[in-house]
Amino acid sequence: MQKEELIKKNPLRVLNPLDSESLPDHRMGLIMARAGLGKTAILVQIAMDSMLRSQKVLHVSIGEGLEKAKAWYEDIFKYIAEGFQLDNATEVEDELMRNRMIMTFKESAFSRPKLEERLNDLVYQNIFRPDILVIDGYDFTEADYDSVMDLKEMMAAMNVQGWFSALRHREDERKSAAGVPAPCHEVDGLFDTVIILQPEKNSILLNIIKDEYDGAAGKILNLDPSTMMVKEG
Amino acid sequence: MKANLENLRNIGISAHIDSGKTTLTERILFYTQRIHAIHEVRGKDGVGAKMDSMELEKERGITIQSAATYCSWKGYAINIIDTPGHVDFTIEVERALRVLDGAVLILCSVGGVQSQSITVNRQMTRYKVPRIVFINKCDRTGANPYRVAQQVRDKLDLNAVLMQIPIGLEGDLKGIVDLVAMKALYFEGANGEVVKEAEIPAELQEEAEAKREELLDAASMFSEELMEAILEGTPTEEMIRKAVRTGTLSLELVPVFMGSAYKNKGVQTMLDAVTEYLPTPKDIKNTALDLKNDEKEITLTPDPAAPLISLAFKLEDGRYGQLTYIRIYQGTLRKGDTIVNSRDGKKVKVGRLVRMHSDEMEDIEEASAGDIVALFGIDCASGDTFTSPEISVSMSSMHVPEPVISLAILPVDNKAQVNMSKALNRFTKEDPTFRTYVDHETNETIISGMGELHLEVYIERMKREYKAEVQVGQPQVAYRETITQRAEFNYTHKKQTGGSGQFGRVAGFMEPMTEEVEYEFVDQIVGGAIPREFISSCDKGFQKSLVKGSLAGAPVTGVRVAINDGASHAVDSSDVAFQLAAIGAFKEGYQKAKPVILEPIMKVAVEGPSEFQGAVMGSLNQRRGIIVGTVEEANYTSVEAEVPLSEMFGYSTVLRSLTQGKAEFTMEFATYKQVPKSVSEEIIKKFQEEKQKS
Repeated sequence: MQKEELIKKNPLRVLNPLDSESLPDHRMGLIMARAGLGKTAILVQIAMDSMLRSQKVLHVSIGEGLEKAKAWYEDIFKYIAEGFQLDNATEVEDELMRNRMIMTFKESAFSRPKLEERLNDLVYQNIFRPDILVIDGYDFTEADYDSVMDLKEMMAAMNVQGWFSALRHREDERKSAAGVPAPCHEVDGLFDTVIILQPEKNSILLNIIKDEYDGAAGKILNLDPSTMMVKEG
Repeated sequence: MKANLENLRNIGISAHIDSGKTTLTERILFYTQRIHAIHEVRGKDGVGAKMDSMELEKERGITIQSAATYCSWKGYAINIIDTPGHVDFTIEVERALRVLDGAVLILCSVGGVQSQSITVNRQMTRYKVPRIVFINKCDRTGANPYRVAQQVRDKLDLNAVLMQIPIGLEGDLKGIVDLVAMKALYFEGANGEVVKEAEIPAELQEEAEAKREELLDAASMFSEELMEAILEGTPTEEMIRKAVRTGTLSLELVPVFMGSAYKNKGVQTMLDAVTEYLPTPKDIKNTALDLKNDEKEITLTPDPAAPLISLAFKLEDGRYGQLTYIRIYQGTLRKGDTIVNSRDGKKVKVGRLVRMHSDEMEDIEEASAGDIVALFGIDCASGDTFTSPEISVSMSSMHVPEPVISLAILPVDNKAQVNMSKALNRFTKEDPTFRTYVDHETNETIISGMGELHLEVYIERMKREYKAEVQVGQPQVAYRETITQRAEFNYTHKKQTGGSGQFGRVAGFMEPMTEEVEYEFVDQIVGGAIPREFISSCDKGFQKSLVKGSLAGAPVTGVRVAINDGASHAVDSSDVAFQLAAIGAFKEGYQKAKPVILEPIMKVAVEGPSEFQGAVMGSLNQRRGIIVGTVEEANYTSVEAEVPLSEMFGYSTVLRSLTQGKAEFTMEFATYKQVPKSVSEEIIKKFQEEKQKS
C-alpha cells in the first residue's frame, strides 16, 4: 500500500477530513479515559496521521521518559507498516521521524512559560516549527480554567493544533452539561473536540461526544485492545 | 580460600572521572590487607595506585581497563571489577557490568551527579545491576551530600535513601553517623584503620532522628515485619538491614553512604554495606543461549556440581603470556580440566588458574560458580564462552558494533614497525570494536574503532607499552555503499592474447536487501549455462567487487546478486575467467542500480543546564542532526539527537565554548543512513581526486 492510500483510509479521517475547509489551525482536542485504555496510543495515531501528511508534530510527554514515547511511535508504526503492507516502510519511517520531536518534562518542570520558551528556541533557530502539539500526561486535576486557557491562547498565537490526554478517575462522577466528565468538566468549553474511551466487551469505544467543526460528534470508532489501533466502529 | 556463595560479592565500582574511584579502590585494598601501603593516583611517591596497572592510566590519572581484584572483608570474599569511566570505552563498561552482580556508584560530594554518572547509571539499569551510592570527597570545599542525594533522586531517578549523615563537612569532616545503629563513627589511626563507635554528638541528634525516620519510611515499604515493628516502636537493626537489602536487590531502593576515601573516612562502612546490601551470585538470574536448541534462552544455576558455563570477559597481556579473566556462572573450573570454547568448538586444557590482585596473583586449584578468576595461556577473544565439553551454550553473544571511524598510522622506523604489529595483534584480541588492516593500495596500516578518543588511547598505549612510535593521519569516517534499485547485468569476459585465452559470460540481476545482511548470492542457473565448478568463481568475483564500491571506494553492503544465465568455453573458461566476468558484471549492474553512499549516524546525547538548551539544539541542527527529543528535569536538560559522525569531529570543543564548559555529551553508533546529495557529491569528488593522485 502507498502512503497516500494509508492517509485516505485512516479511520481518524472522521476527525480530520482531508477536504475540510472549516478546520482552523489551532483546534484543541481532548482524549479522556481511565488508566490503561489507550489514550497515548490514540494521541500517537493522531500524531502519526499528521506526520504522514507532512505536518510537524511536537510530542510533549509529562512524567514519562523519552524512551517510552519513542517506543510508542515505533510500535504504532510497526502495526501500520505490517497491517497495511506499506511500501518502502523503512524510508517512510525515516521521513516520518523527521516530522516528529519529543519533549519530556518531569511533572514539576512543566509550565506554559517553559514550553513557550522551548518552542521559541526551536522556531527562531528554524530547527523545528510544529503544526500540532500532542500533550500527554497533563494533570487536569491540578489545573484551573485559566491555566488551560493560557495554553489555548499560546497555541492560537503560534497557530498550532493541540491534542491533550486526560486521566479520568472512577470515583469522580462529576460531569459538565455537555457530558464531559471530571477532571475536565470545568474546562470543556475550551476544547473543540472531546473523545471519551469506553471499554466494551471485546473492544474499546471511542465516543466522540463533541466536535465543533465537522460533525463527527456522535460517530463511533473502535480501538482494537490487542494492537491499540483505531478501527471504524 | 574457597568462597561460599552466600559470602561472595562480585562488585563494580563506577563513577565519573575524578570522583575518586581509584583512590577509593586503593583504600579498600588497604583495609582488606591486600596491600600494605597507600599510594595516590597521581602519587608523589611514584608508585601509583594499585588498580591502575597501565602506565597510561597512571599518567592521565584515569582508569581505562577494568581489572578484577580479589579481597576479603570480615569473612566475605569480594571481587572488585574496576570499570572505566569514559564513554568511548563503553564496550568495556558493558562487559564489566555483565559479570558483576552489584555496584557501588561513586559520586563527588561537590560535583554531584554528572553526565558520565547518568550514562553509567543507565547502563546499570539496562543490565539490572543493584547498586549502592557512596558520596565521596566530603572533605572538599563545597561538599554537600544532601544535595547530591537529592540529585540521585532527580537526575538518576533512583529511590536514594540516606543511611548515614556526616559529622562536620569540608575541612571539618570528622566522621559519620550510622542511622541504622544510631551511633557516631570515627576513623582513627594513621590511615583511619581504627573505627571507633561513640554517642551521636548532641547537636546532630535531632537531624539524625529526622533522617532515620525517612530511612525507616523508605525501608518499611519492603518489609511488613518492619512496618509493624515501627508502629509498635520496636524496629531492630536487623529488620532494617533486611528490608533495605530487599529494596536494593529489587532495584527499588538505593542506600546512600558517604565519606572521604582520601581522608580515610567511611570506607570500611561502605565495605560493610557491600556485604550487607549487594547481591550474592545466587540472587542474580543469569541466562545463556542453548546452541543445540536454536539459541533458546536458558537460565543458569549457580551450582558447583552442574556443567561448567563461564565467560571470558577480559584479556590482558601479562609478563607470562595471555591472561584471561573469566567469570564462572555455573559449575566448577579445575586446574587440568578440558573446557570448550563455544565460539569455535576448540578444546583447551586449563593449565594455570589464578586469582588476581591487580598485577599480583595467587595460584588456585579450582573455582566455582559465582567466582571471578584468571586463566593462563588460553587463546581466545573477549566475550567467548567456555563450557564443559558435554554442553554447547553461549552466554548471549554480546552485540559487537562495527567500527565507525578509522585513521592511518605509520611507524616511524623499523623497530616501531615490529612493535606496532605486536601491539595491534594484542589490542584486536582484547577489544572486538578495535580493528586493523593494511590498505593494499596505499600500503598504510589503518586502525578503526568507535570514536576519536577510542583510537587516541590505543595510539598512546602503543607508544607507552610497546614503544611503537607512529605518525597519525586524519580520522576518516567509515562510509558504505549500497544500491537502491534492481538492475540486470549481462557481461562477457574475453581475452585472446596467445596461449590459452579467457572466456566467461555471466548474466543475472542484483537488488537491494532490506534485511540487515551484507551480501547474498543466489544461483538460479538451470541447464548448466555456467558449469557447476565455476559458480563459486562467480560468487568469489562478486565478493571481490563488494570490497570497494565505485562511488567512494567504500565497502558495498545490502546487495543480493543472482545469476540466471551465462556461457562458457570448453578450453578458455577457468576460475579466473569467471571471477573476472563476475567483476565486470557487477560493475555493469552496479552503475544501473542507482548506488548511494551511506554514512554512520551517531546517537548523541548532550546534557547540561537548561539555559543552554537552545544553543545546544542549534549546534546539533547545524551539524545535520535530527533532534529526537529533549528531557527536562528541574534545571537540567538532556537533548537527544541523531547526527552524522562526520559532522561530530571536534564537537567537544564547540560544546565547551557554547556552554561555558557546563554541558557534556555522549555518543554511540546508531545506524547507517544515506548521505544527502550535496554531501555525497563532495565525497565522490574527493575519492576521484585521490584515485588520480595515486
